[in-house]
Amino acid sequence: MRLLKIAFLAMLAAVPATLSIAQSGPLQIEITEGVVEPLTFAIPQFQAENAGSDELARDISRVIASDLSGTGLFREIPAGSFIANRTTFAEPVRFPDWRAINAQAMITGAVGVDAQGRITVKFRIYDIFSGAELGQGQQLLGTRAGWRRMAHKVADQVYARITGEAPYFDSRVVFVSESGPKGNRRQRLAIMDYDGANIQFLTDSSSIVLAPRFSPTGDRVLYTSYETGFPQVFLLDVASVGRRALRTGDGLMSFAPRFAPNGSTAVYSLEQGGNSDLFRIDLNSGARQQLTAAPSIETAPSFSPDGRQIVFESDRSGTQQIYVMPADGGEARRISFGEGRYSTPVWSPRGDLIAFTKQTKGRFAIGVMRVDGSEERLLSASPLDEGPTWSPNGRVIMFTRETLGENGAPSIYSVDITGRNLKRVELPSAASDPSWGPLQP
Amino acid sequence: MSIGGYLSGAGHVGLIGFLLFGPGLSSDPLPIEDIQQVSVISEAEFAALVAPPAPDVTPEIPTALPVPDPAPAPEPVAPVEEAPVVTPAPPPPPAQEPEPDPAPDVTEITPLPETDVTDTPPVVPQTPEVILPDPVDLSTIRPRPRPAPRVAPEAVAPPEPDAVVAEIVQEAAVPNDTSEAVAEEQDATSPEEAATQSVTEAEALEPPSGAVTSSLRPQARPNRPAAAEPEEPRTADAQTPATDDAVAAAVQDALNAAISEEPQRPTGPPLTGGERDALRVAVSRCWNVGSLSTDALNTSVVVGVDLQENGMPVSSSIRLVSSSGGSSAAAQQAFEAARRAIIRCGVSGFDLPPEKYDQWKEIQMTFNPEQMRSR
Repeated sequence: MRLLKIAFLAMLAAVPATLSIAQSGPLQIEITEGVVEPLTFAIPQFQAENAGSDELARDISRVIASDLSGTGLFREIPAGSFIANRTTFAEPVRFPDWRAINAQAMITGAVGVDAQGRITVKFRIYDIFSGAELGQGQQLLGTRAGWRRMAHKVADQVYARITGEAPYFDSRVVFVSESGPKGNRRQRLAIMDYDGANIQFLTDSSSIVLAPRFSPTGDRVLYTSYETGFPQVFLLDVASVGRRALRTGDGLMSFAPRFAPNGSTAVYSLEQGGNSDLFRIDLNSGARQQLTAAPSIETAPSFSPDGRQIVFESDRSGTQQIYVMPADGGEARRISFGEGRYSTPVWSPRGDLIAFTKQTKGRFAIGVMRVDGSEERLLSASPLDEGPTWSPNGRVIMFTRETLGENGAPSIYSVDITGRNLKRVELPSAASDPSWGPLQP
Repeated sequence: MSIGGYLSGAGHVGLIGFLLFGPGLSSDPLPIEDIQQVSVISEAEFAALVAPPAPDVTPEIPTALPVPDPAPAPEPVAPVEEAPVVTPAPPPPPAQEPEPDPAPDVTEITPLPETDVTDTPPVVPQTPEVILPDPVDLSTIRPRPRPAPRVAPEAVAPPEPDAVVAEIVQEAAVPNDTSEAVAEEQDATSPEEAATQSVTEAEALEPPSGAVTSSLRPQARPNRPAAAEPEEPRTADAQTPATDDAVAAAVQDALNAAISEEPQRPTGPPLTGGERDALRVAVSRCWNVGSLSTDALNTSVVVGVDLQENGMPVSSSIRLVSSSGGSSAAAQQAFEAARRAIIRCGVSGFDLPPEKYDQWKEIQMTFNPEQMRSR
């Protein structure tokens, strides 16, 4: 009995610690469900700091708003809903006025023009509901001719600061501009801002051009041209528009070129006797290396971001499928096993996904899959979609969509990798074969 | 009395005597280990037993709570006032001198007019064969409308054509000739159309097969009930009359020690499961992950917040407690989205029982986006 009392007392002695553990700490709950909708933002027109900058301030504000809204991740609150009017850039933000219209973020800015004609853009980003500035204000200095780039730079900063993604607005796309009737199209290489502005042509329309590909630094373009009478890979310098044919194979047809991540080598397809294989070429020395030697058609090669692997399409299994092999050749492994035919694979800049064109049941789709072929997801569907290209941050894909019929024409579309925000890139004429360049320095 | 009666009486007397004075009722006490302590508990304590599990103990979280703000915090003065000229922040290196445009002017680089094209394009041997499908009337193969642009936990039907998208539903006010009071005209409003999952163009065109495409997620195993509420002092009082004073004193000392060592212990009844769910749903409605990076969507964050007695969060108290699954930058983005959710949906105060303020004056919310990645 005495032992029992001692044990009972010992047990009681432990009670304080037990009670303390069970009751300390705040209430805890777990949130697993949320909403997926654009983040609302307000962008009062940037302040004009002198008389000559009023129009610039308005235009820059509009380009920033267009960039952000165009991602589908943001939704601009129209200026007509604003309660507060801002008169100076230094004016403090009255957060309740912006909360009242449910603005979650706000961008304020000012534009000035100095005596030399250079423009200055200042901006700040605010988290309205937190009542705090996001990061620090920044200032850009540039020329009047480069005002759109400055606007893209501001939008890039806002996008990166709020979403955490790498930016992509200040980038360009090389593509094939097409004009004329469907049976007699004239094609020219052209470059544009990612949003379709500032179109500039790189070649004339005297010959057929296909599949341009930007270099990793955006200063050169590889493409296929019929300038010499048969398809041949050309290298073009964007600044001087000078071009030269690569010595890809004596008198043989070469096509589907693409730069390696180091920019000094490229891969392409070479047709020999009805069969095509993949080759690698040093752009400086012209040295070539054969990567595949299969009795089938291998084409559309694309490097992984680290340059160690190549993804390509091949019909060695009987139908077009996607394969991955080491960058210096070797055994290839098939990664696409779904229904239909897979083509034009392109490795994501992030390295985690491969975009492709899929043809099944008479329809085409742009899709993405993991680099091992898993988690395939189709993002689009139409009678003819093809040729995906990645944005510099790996978040958006552009591709060609062609409408059918006598008046059918190709257009460039873009879509988020989530499948949302599918939209057409507004261009004045038909366009195809986009290749997204890097973020500009 | 008959002989049988005497025998029966003697037998009963003997049996009673055996039970009273014999070994029948003087057996050894039962082993102490077989005894189960039973105490009377209140209704609130019983609710605590059957309620969802108590919050995990996080010893490193400071238990001292800041004094709740008596009124909404004043608006912070924007730092812009102090720095009218944005100079401290270095401009991004690439943007300091954006060049006008490296590409040459169109007219200079493309002197050849289009009319110069006279040659016939050569035959393209490698032109991929394009199989054109039969003309398809898209309207006949679209089984359902395009997905709503907003993904929310609960699907909301598209608003009426003449309705304005708003948070609340209200009928349009129309002039009523028969009424003396003139109703102010107002637009009909309806919640924004929402779906529970984003659907790509490819998926939208897929006809519904009717087949089960995914199995139900098995329900989680129920957790053990929350730990019992601490015994109130009256429990000790109930034991005071016990014959053993030493035991009573020990119980009293132990309980006093427990109380004195935990001055911040929440008091009052705990939140019910329904009250916790209501809070969870309230925050979910404003937790917008649509603008988060893919890296941030792989990051769970635990956010601590202090609430005022009116249920409004103290903005300055919202803090990132911990994160998992992503980089520090991703954790920061995820935290900012969580902070916006707490402030936006708490702007009018969360609907929490005032009598249980001690239970919810400090909350840690875990924002786990795992289920939102596929939306």
